Amino acid sequence: MKLLHLLRGAHSRQGLWVLPLVMAALVAAWLAMRTATFLDSQNLLNLVAQATPLLLASLGQLIVVLIGGLDLSVGAVISLTTAILAADAPVWVLLPMVYLAAATIGLVNGVAVSRLNVHPIIATLSTMSLVQGATLIIRPVAGGSVPEVVLTMVNAVPLGIPMSVWWSLAAIAIGWKIVHASRYGLHLYAVGGGAAVARSYGIGVERVTVGAYVLSACFAATAAVFLAGRITSGDPKIGELFAIESITAVALGGVQLAGGVGSVPGAITGVAFLALLANGMNLENLSAFVQTIVKGLILLAVVALQPRKNIGL
Amino acid sequence: MAATLTLQRVAGQVSRWPPAYLVFAALLLALWATRPHLLQLGIMGTFIRQAAPLGIVVLGQLLVMNARSIDLSCGGVILLVNYLLSSGRLDDASPATMVGVALATGLAVGLFNGLMVGRRRVSAVIVTLAVGIVLVGLVEYLANGKPPGNVPQVLRDVYELRPAGVPLPILFWAALSLGLSVVLSRLVFGRWVASVGENPVAAHFAGVPVQRTVVMAHALAGLMAGVAGLVQTASLAVGSVRFGPELVLNSVAATLLGGVIFGKGSGGVLGPFFGVLCFVLLFVLMTTLGISEPGKLVAQGLIILLAAIVYGLRTRTA
Repeated sequence: MKLLHLLRGAHSRQGLWVLPLVMAALVAAWLAMRTATFLDSQNLLNLVAQATPLLLASLGQLIVVLIGGLDLSVGAVISLTTAILAADAPVWVLLPMVYLAAATIGLVNGVAVSRLNVHPIIATLSTMSLVQGATLIIRPVAGGSVPEVVLTMVNAVPLGIPMSVWWSLAAIAIGWKIVHASRYGLHLYAVGGGAAVARSYGIGVERVTVGAYVLSACFAATAAVFLAGRITSGDPKIGELFAIESITAVALGGVQLAGGVGSVPGAITGVAFLALLANGMNLENLSAFVQTIVKGLILLAVVALQPRKNIGL
Repeated sequence: MAATLTLQRVAGQVSRWPPAYLVFAALLLALWATRPHLLQLGIMGTFIRQAAPLGIVVLGQLLVMNARSIDLSCGGVILLVNYLLSSGRLDDASPATMVGVALATGLAVGLFNGLMVGRRRVSAVIVTLAVGIVLVGLVEYLANGKPPGNVPQVLRDVYELRPAGVPLPILFWAALSLGLSVVLSRLVFGRWVASVGENPVAAHFAGVPVQRTVVMAHALAGLMAGVAGLVQTASLAVGSVRFGPELVLNSVAATLLGGVIFGKGSGGVLGPFFGVLCFVLLFVLMTTLGISEPGKLVAQGLIILLAAIVYGLRTRTA
């Protein structure tokens, strides 16, 4: 029983549990044995490049989930950002605009949740609809071209290592700093553990909440800058799956959706597992439909293994 | 003096209503001002008939939302039912078999949701979202991306019936609403749902079978989604693999507009009913004003957010 608790990370604030680590390792081992090309450095670098946007979105999602919230609007923010980046304007206008738009959306989510007492699911669901609509107005179909600077930022190979690796490392460093090495990170855990108690200890719960949603939106926007650099154009539908995938990733990584439990290594593990799985299914030539089914089933299996106290939402 | 007091009292009363009534009145006024010729029973009947599937999904949604849960898998259920009925595999089957397949599909998915949420205590958002994704993927895999075949003629014929001039789907929807209203207000199960929504812990100590209530609410919501799938299929000449996502969002939004919000609401069944009618009017208004699909998404998001904010401020307790 004790071992089972340990494997589940039942009493850990980090929420790190052994199962996803073992699963990720198993998938990796299975891939390495099955296909000769898996351990190819090119394939591994492709893997990192494919995982980078999800990693960024998931780190943002992690921050929101830590306070017991949920951000369903990350996908729409990603679509909006690629649409803005592909607009016909100089890059020094576009990049600030991207982050301004993302911060505004995060602000709306955060204020609605913390000050106006709206349920996180409803707040982010409605901003998702709003932002998706706005995106389709700006760019009805995929197209346009992304500024040269963004392409270089994403596709250059400084010191012989592709930019996607640098982006991932930077994202992890920033995420680590925010969650595990700052006062704000400690406050995130406190609010997620119990907002009323956190408030009575003098933590500005509203401020922390608003900050979390703004950070999530900005992480999503960064994910989209990277994506835009990869696809070189704007796509109003590209973010569609990111909300569910980022939630899957953090849930896989042992982050409790009720809040207060989770860690950056957990989120990274979840993303790595999803990326390995997608890579494996691509190498096996499974159709996109089957891949969606498998991902959904895995999400179901993982959350079923994490019992909670609360019933319902 | 007396006049202002009365005014205040009226304002106080009105602010307690579900947002749906006010939005409905405002939309009706806007439609009357811009396109008065559309406000005829025959024309509106056709529009409202199209909303019957949404209305039936909303019945399930309001049930689970009253019990502090949510069902985001209803779009997947509708899609699966639509696929099963229009793929040609059931063309020779009797109408009873078709209805049976639709209901069984919905009930099975709802029961699965309920067991996961009620017994395993998994977050309802995650479970139903994942189930929805699996179902959509399943249909796309089975259909291989192509739309399935024709909808059986029997269903089309029943859908077109207009006893006493009112389209049958609307009557069916109204009857189901009435039934659910009776269940929620008169039966013990209705009290259970209300008390679980109010406070699950208190309900448990008061002897309410919390788990069973949640499981049953989800099973019923799945059943409603199955019925909605049946009506939706009957409304289409050919099957489709591309609808559902917006229906899920709309069902949550209509329920919310109707004043039901995760156990804290007071909208009953009538509130969400008007919530659905709001969406009908909104659709008609925006279509006649030439507002495109993205514009509708923006308006929809704004309306949900505003309704949720109004409701959130009102129910805020320190």
